[in-house]
Amino acid sequence: MKRWTLALVIGASLSAQVKLPPYTREALPNGAVAYYMQKTGLPLVSFRVLVKGGAESDPATLPGLSSLAAELLERGTARRTAAQFAEELDTLGGSFGAGTDRQSTSISAEFLKKDFDAGFALFTDAVLNPAFREEEVRKLTARRADSLKTSKDNPGSAILNYYRSFFFGAGHPYGRLPEESTYDLVKREDIVNYHKQMYVGSNLVVMVAGDFDPAAAKARVSEAFGGAPKGTAYAWAEDRPPAVPGAPRVLLVDKPDATQTYFIIAQPGVRRTAPDRVALNLVNTLIGGRFTSMLNEALRINSGLTYGANSSVDLARLTGAIAINTYTKTQSTAQAIDMALDVLRRIQENGFTAQQLASAKASVKGGYPTSRLQTADQVAGTLGEMELFGLGRDEVDQLFQRIDAVTLEQANAVARKYYRTENLTFVLLGNAAKIRESAAKYGPKVVERSVKQPGWAM
Amino acid sequence: MIGALLTSSLLFAQDNTRTSTLANGMKVIVQEDHAIPNVAMYFFYRIGSRNERPGTTGISHFFEHMMFNGAKKYGPGMFDKTMDDNGGSNNASTSRDLTTYTDWFPSAALERMFDLEADRIRDLAFDPKIVESERGVVYSERRTSVDNSNGGMLSELANATAFLAHPYHWPVVGWATDIESWTMDDLKAHWQMGYAPNNCVMVAVGDVTFDNIVQLSKKYLEPIPRHDPPPPVRTKEPEQQGERRVTLVKPAQLPMQMILYHVPEARNPDSPALEVLSTVLDGGQSSRLYKALVDSQLAVSAGAGSGTALDPTTFNFRIQPRSGVDPAATEKAVYDELAKLQAQEVPAAELRKAKNQMLVGLYQRLKTIANRASLLGMYEIYYGDYTKLFTADKEIEAVTAADVQRVARKYFTAKNRTVATLVPEKQEVKP
Repeated sequence: MKRWTLALVIGASLSAQVKLPPYTREALPNGAVAYYMQKTGLPLVSFRVLVKGGAESDPATLPGLSSLAAELLERGTARRTAAQFAEELDTLGGSFGAGTDRQSTSISAEFLKKDFDAGFALFTDAVLNPAFREEEVRKLTARRADSLKTSKDNPGSAILNYYRSFFFGAGHPYGRLPEESTYDLVKREDIVNYHKQMYVGSNLVVMVAGDFDPAAAKARVSEAFGGAPKGTAYAWAEDRPPAVPGAPRVLLVDKPDATQTYFIIAQPGVRRTAPDRVALNLVNTLIGGRFTSMLNEALRINSGLTYGANSSVDLARLTGAIAINTYTKTQSTAQAIDMALDVLRRIQENGFTAQQLASAKASVKGGYPTSRLQTADQVAGTLGEMELFGLGRDEVDQLFQRIDAVTLEQANAVARKYYRTENLTFVLLGNAAKIRESAAKYGPKVVERSVKQPGWAM
Repeated sequence: MIGALLTSSLLFAQDNTRTSTLANGMKVIVQEDHAIPNVAMYFFYRIGSRNERPGTTGISHFFEHMMFNGAKKYGPGMFDKTMDDNGGSNNASTSRDLTTYTDWFPSAALERMFDLEADRIRDLAFDPKIVESERGVVYSERRTSVDNSNGGMLSELANATAFLAHPYHWPVVGWATDIESWTMDDLKAHWQMGYAPNNCVMVAVGDVTFDNIVQLSKKYLEPIPRHDPPPPVRTKEPEQQGERRVTLVKPAQLPMQMILYHVPEARNPDSPALEVLSTVLDGGQSSRLYKALVDSQLAVSAGAGSGTALDPTTFNFRIQPRSGVDPAATEKAVYDELAKLQAQEVPAAELRKAKNQMLVGLYQRLKTIANRASLLGMYEIYYGDYTKLFTADKEIEAVTAADVQRVARKYFTAKNRTVATLVPEKQEVKP
């Protein structure tokens, strides 16, 4: 086969535009969309399926349903028991993984090129014909309930759940999280119905990437995934931007044995497709997206208060949050929060310099090829994202030009628009007896709960 | 019966990997790959927590942090700022054996990276104010990875119990009181001891040419004078003479368990068999541990394996028992599986399966320039020659079922193990 390399414009200049490598997109009669992207060099081929919906599509009473369905795919099909499936997969040395994010379920597998047929047969069997046997459902839900408990022993990940629940609230799909009791409520029938309704042609994006024979791959994909029922396309939820509260909100989560306080400061952000996304990515890089960012400089480099401080921008289908996330020893809780707030104030007052903006542009462009265009999996991920969010290939092919075109005025306007200093949401997790007073500084009322209580919500 | 995987070295393209040793003893390994306009450049220094002493534990890791805090040409903060301005990013890590500095950047910034790295290797500044601030950062890292992490705390306790004499006894991040006490002199002594160019391997993978890397290395790195590398680690861990049990009692939702067995260092001929054994135990949902512990509903998760190490190390089991399951039951399940490996040879199909998993895993680790830089450096340091990466598939292939049984019998004995259990506070302690 012809040796293939990424069709990048390789030049000495950082502003050279990167391009997506060649790929083929095909719409199948049942509504499924297929992508083929060849990359030789390693004798591996990967399959990926995206099912539209994700956490957004979970019933309000059963958060985590899509994720349970995903994890159960490899635990037995109509033709294979869970043990048989695992045995065949492992014998090929194959890998298989499935999980959900806010808008999709992603199932991927990788095999040796020579095992294309056997691997593809296993993959499609799991995606299209899972059995969801009662025994496997109960085993997984029991383990999930225990995992959820142990996640409360890990403050860095627990605070994310408390924060999502508090910030978005139970009325928003992003604010609904599985709790210990959720796993008692889930019935096999719920999972079977979810799969039947959602894993249909109209909701599927199929991708083959790596080293493979395109003609054979197209035939297999058309047969297996083109043969799935067309079904009804998932009706995406209406966007409901998180309301800006009239006053700051504070949640304090008590973990009496904690020797440091973890905290998140959040406010409403944007959707993945927001026109501001390119500029916002640049300003977030400067504020909390890299080692020399304002937040990390203030809280780590200059003061030694923390190992790391960052800010992140949700880029999901529905409007998400912009959140500052860090931790510090119990005694310096208020000092660290004040420092983070001071960063927000400085953004509002001073904005950025042309030099800072140029540096952010260099950072974002410099890291892009290694993180998005280097491996077949990365390119498949990028293509899937484009399909899911309805973006064109210009999202990559024009990216560097768009970055270059962001002016200082635009960047500063975007920074001031999204990194506000008022009516923020604060979530603190730590030793409440020692930080209760500090927490009270940040809002008129502090909502308090303990890690010992079940669930995440108030 | 599944046939052996293709073992031709079509992927391990050796022809594009070349090496050169500078006059000062620094070894340079270059792999050209022009698929993306980026480079991964890694510096591996053979110095880690095994080279430390009581009182200054964690100093290697602290030093790693100080390497970002200013030198002669690039002052405080300038290393990272210059890196950012040029579209690069970086990180560093310290292990028991190594301190590794990793740079990723667009190839246009190559020469600037050499300038940055040479500056800090040759002329690191030691500013007392920055030392104090960075001490706080490292303490925060310890608080996060150990003091507020049940897994981290149990692991620290288990290692300190399994190793009584050898420096693997103490944690890489250092004991808390040592973090509070390091002095400027300790830092300088550490720098004198370990940061010799002849104690370093540099690997560049990506959009570079061998000639260009050699030329820049000669210009920027070769003038740095060689000096003595760290003295050899003398202390050897005495053979363990009986099971050791230790408990950690603290607030937790569920118990946690670690079982450690002493096993040899990476270069020992038994290592490939131990790796195959670990895959038989823990490779995928058809593995023995998954079936006996997770699928059987005894545990939420179970894992097994040993890290690559310069000195004799341990093979670790890490288990999170399900709620209501006595850790004694998960412990017994592990011993039952080990007894089976000792009593009977792994069947041919199961051995083939483990090898297939390992070989595909090897291919998967070759996808990115960063992983390849890491692997080339690791093979050079741990196995003495980076070209051993290109024959790693043959090493795996050569392991027989009898080898697996032999190492199972040799190392997984009751006398040779340490069992560490996290007991949630307010529950009955069953040591």
